[in-house]
Amino acid sequence: MDTEPLSDILPEPREVNEQAGFAITLAACVSGAFIPGLGHAVLRKWDRAIVFFASIAIMMAIGIRLEGRLFSPDFDNLFSALKFLADAGLGLLYWIPWLRGMGAGNPTAYTNDYANVFIYVAGLLNMLVVVDVFDIAMGRKK
Amino acid sequence: MKNHFILLLIFSALTSLVLAYIAKSGRRERAKYFLYLFCAFVGLSLVAAWIALPFPF
Repeated sequence: MDTEPLSDILPEPREVNEQAGFAITLAACVSGAFIPGLGHAVLRKWDRAIVFFASIAIMMAIGIRLEGRLFSPDFDNLFSALKFLADAGLGLLYWIPWLRGMGAGNPTAYTNDYANVFIYVAGLLNMLVVVDVFDIAMGRKK
Repeated sequence: MKNHFILLLIFSALTSLVLAYIAKSGRRERAKYFLYLFCAFVGLSLVAAWIALPFPF
């Protein structure tokens, strides 16, 4: 009786990405939340780390330079809370300037609206970057 | 740096770059997606501005 070799019957093995351990995953996500791109650096994804840090830091710096406002923790009003959460997504790039009294904002400035959008979007992008770090650490992405 | 169009270009470039790196892998895929997002940001902003032009606020 002829038998087929096992390799012909079994499906092709799927490529499985390497999964980081719990401690590295936690360290990467927390460090990425504090400093944009640092989580990718922990996972040795150097190109992504540099691109994320540079882009997000430049957006933040432009926002401050154009007289945008860093919204303080204020949970009385829904929109104020959302603005604060978006800004706080920057991690230390939010807290250090805020503690130093920068980012008071000037609502009469010509570029104030643009500046605020730069800061919101930088914070929101950093939240996406942390999710990306988590996916890489869990082996869902390369 | 007070030209709104230049700021739009800078914003679009930086945001598209981050999103392209998050969403795609491989240099060619990222470059194509970056260009797609950049053109979409700039083009749709100009269309929205043109539509909003007649409104008095």
